[in-house]
Amino acid sequence: MLSVKNLHARIGEKEILKGINLEVHAGEVHAIMGPNGSGKSTLASVLAGRSDYEVSEGSVEFFGKDLLDLSPEARAAEGLFLAFQYPVEIPGVSTTNFMKSAINEIRAYRGQDAMDAVQFLKMFKEKMAYVNIDQTLLSRALNEGFSGGEKKRNEIFQMAVLEPKLAILDETDSGLDIDALRIVAEGVNKLKTPQNATILVTHYQRLLDYIIPDFVHVLYKGKIVKSGNKDLALELEERGYDWIISALD
Amino acid sequence: MLEKTLVDSIKTIDSLTQAQQLALGKFIDKGFPTSKWEEWKYASLKHLNEHNWQWSPETLPVDLPNPVWKHSAIIQTLNGNTHSEGALPLGIALLPMSEFMAQNPAFDSVWKARNPILDQNSLYDLNDALASDYAVLWVKNGVKIAEPLLHQYLVSGQLDTAVQSKLFIYLEEDSEITWFEQQRSESSHAILSNYVQEIWVSKNAHLTLIKDQDLQQSITHVDHTFIFQQESSLVDAFTFSINAAYLRNNLHFYIDGPQVVSNLNGLYIPGEDQLMDTHSVVDHRMPHSESNELYKGVLMGNATGVFNGKIFVRPDAQKTNAFQSCKNVLASDRATMNTKPQLEIWADDVKCSHGTTTGQLSDEALFYMRSRGISKATAQTLLLLAFVQQVIDKLEHEDIRAELSDKIVNKIQASLGLTLL
Repeated sequence: MLSVKNLHARIGEKEILKGINLEVHAGEVHAIMGPNGSGKSTLASVLAGRSDYEVSEGSVEFFGKDLLDLSPEARAAEGLFLAFQYPVEIPGVSTTNFMKSAINEIRAYRGQDAMDAVQFLKMFKEKMAYVNIDQTLLSRALNEGFSGGEKKRNEIFQMAVLEPKLAILDETDSGLDIDALRIVAEGVNKLKTPQNATILVTHYQRLLDYIIPDFVHVLYKGKIVKSGNKDLALELEERGYDWIISALD
Repeated sequence: MLEKTLVDSIKTIDSLTQAQQLALGKFIDKGFPTSKWEEWKYASLKHLNEHNWQWSPETLPVDLPNPVWKHSAIIQTLNGNTHSEGALPLGIALLPMSEFMAQNPAFDSVWKARNPILDQNSLYDLNDALASDYAVLWVKNGVKIAEPLLHQYLVSGQLDTAVQSKLFIYLEEDSEITWFEQQRSESSHAILSNYVQEIWVSKNAHLTLIKDQDLQQSITHVDHTFIFQQESSLVDAFTFSINAAYLRNNLHFYIDGPQVVSNLNGLYIPGEDQLMDTHSVVDHRMPHSESNELYKGVLMGNATGVFNGKIFVRPDAQKTNAFQSCKNVLASDRATMNTKPQLEIWADDVKCSHGTTTGQLSDEALFYMRSRGISKATAQTLLLLAFVQQVIDKLEHEDIRAELSDKIVNKIQASLGLTLL
């Protein structure tokens, strides 16, 4: 579904991604790991369409469409989802209203009728159970005054509601205690189907105890320098990144 | 100095009293405000010199829609002439100023000593000169009316028309009303709508004043509202500035007694080719009183906004609490906002604070919303509506709140060019 070829991206004069190649197919879970500053979050942001980055070379196809040509909202409507490392506070807008707007704009993009209030409520209730989130949180202003765990849980809730074809989770494990991590991971696992795919961007192996990846890629200085299966993550946990880096530098 | 051709035309108005002639002379000497005048720096009225004004407008009958919510009376001011549609509630009278003064001879000297701050406001002079024997709404002692009094203020004209309107509201002790004022226009011609409203709020009286300013693009509207508050009175004022090419509010509070509470709430949402200017004055002349100002602005298209908030705390006004907040969002690269808080404090035992901010919608918030499938325009609208909600929520009357809320949503959506799903 996703085909990244020779992707280069820069912020100002600084080149951060220097030729990424990545193929993701339906049903797969990919983990992207790497030391701080290697470009992991940049890759996630570029795929979601953050305008701070300029793509200078390469291509990204999503179900055969040129992803880089689409606005962030069109990417979402095409089935891409980014769970933010730092979910943004939206004062005065409740999660419920926010999701209603999102769902109905996406439906309009796809030529579907808007969801009515009854259908919406029913669907909402179902999804709330996925991540064990309660109603009071959803009626509060989105992310405003939420704890770190509540913010991440809310991200997974939004993912459950939007049912993306490709979910990119950017450091979703950061700032979570072990219970919150388990709830978030369970949510992600429940949402997994043979038709969708997940990219986990993470610094630590910890999350991968709960969500088992099919592929593990190591990103270093803007390039994928090593790929393997879940055993690679375990090896990284044990030996760190130095053995890979020293072999390169 | 007023333009020569305008001087000639305005001098053809006859049957002016000596006092009116004096006021007219002042206006002619000063002319229309220009950007060289400190208080009109960003809101020049030079464009008014380019019209051949009809100074004595006709009053045409109009058919204004009745509100769907319960109201206790409808009072109309059509091109400066005020009358009530149907009967007024018991204890409320509408009468000419001359009659009111004849019935309240002792008030004359009090009234003359009220001493508002006029600076070099030539439009007040013009109004003084031409709005003769204006109407007084008189609310008698202890009269409390729960349902709002609807005031329909309308300017119209089939030529370029200068309308002078004046209204005096007198609340006796322990009285209570809600005055909901719809300011409207019906003209494709240029209109100068020059409106003076003076309000006397006696001891223990409570006034809720709501202004819904929604005029056409050909209108220049200047609203002077001067409120004089006596001991233990309470005023909740709301100004919703929604449409007009040029909209200026001079809203003054004179606190003339202890234990007074003055609440000023305002929202201005100018769009393309619109200018909205708020000049507020809160003059604490007596001790133990409190004023709270909450202003918000959303500036769209190439709009210009001005907020100048003056707070005076006179030497006698010890134990004063005065707060002012003015927050603005520039929803377009072409919009500008000018803010100037001005505090002059002569008493030493006071609590005063003020804060003004002008910013843009957060790019982070917009990207976050767009990444969920919400279009940029919808995301902007949602954030702007959340921003203005704080002012709207302060309205206690549910139906008025809903009516204004819809109007504000529609204006913001229209200015950003979209319909919300």
